[in-house]
Amino acid sequence: MTPEKAFDEYHQAVYSFLYRLTRREDIAEDITQECFLALVRAPERFDRARGTMKTYLFSIARNLALKHYRDYRREAPLEGEAEPAADPRATLELRSAAAEAVAALPQLQQEALILFAYEGVTLEEIAGIVGAEVGTVKSRLHRAREALRRTLAPYRKVGKE
Amino acid sequence: MEPLNEDELSDRELDAILREWTAPPAPAGLRSSIFPVASRPWWRNLWTASIRIPLPAAIAMAMVLAVVAWPWIRPAAPQANAHELQPVAVLRPVIIRSGE
Repeated sequence: MTPEKAFDEYHQAVYSFLYRLTRREDIAEDITQECFLALVRAPERFDRARGTMKTYLFSIARNLALKHYRDYRREAPLEGEAEPAADPRATLELRSAAAEAVAALPQLQQEALILFAYEGVTLEEIAGIVGAEVGTVKSRLHRAREALRRTLAPYRKVGKE
Repeated sequence: MEPLNEDELSDRELDAILREWTAPPAPAGLRSSIFPVASRPWWRNLWTASIRIPLPAAIAMAMVLAVVAWPWIRPAAPQANAHELQPVAVLRPVIIRSGE
């Protein structure tokens, strides 16, 4: 697969993943660009035997996001600090509530949840992307969903309306 | 999995709320920032293409080119046709002695 074709097929998924991870469009754009430039510069690094092009790109994107987070920790935190609104019915902002609740998760749970729930990546693929065992990923995902069930519970009725 | 109590959402409820958080579309200019050359026809690049050669290498290349091309660019010597040559009827050698 050529870098151009990989871009056409996966750039939106990579961008969405980075946007949800950083919650910043400009940073997501920069890292998506870096991600595909890395593929253009060294396409031979992609090893088909180790995974698909999609998981390879997610892996690069994740590493670049972590590097960005380490370099600019104070400017663009990957881990959310905001709490959900005290009275969710007053805001009716399910979208921001979901974003903030996901951002409040520990980083490893956050990335597992985003890849699984939003990008449709399987547990095995996530394990390859983050360099962990499948059981570990499953556990992170379970803890993430448990936390979100409690955090977002006040929004239940809002969601049904 | 159903919620254990009222303080927790079910899987379905949680998924419904998570789906509310949509990501924006990727910027349209992203492709051209990664593949700027590929987006232009190849022949258009010829008009702006350039190469850098060190001056000594350029001089050496010019000299080699001149030597190789010399046989083709030097003026041709006049050639006489065989039928224009005539035998000498009377040979009159002129002898020049020293002192004359």
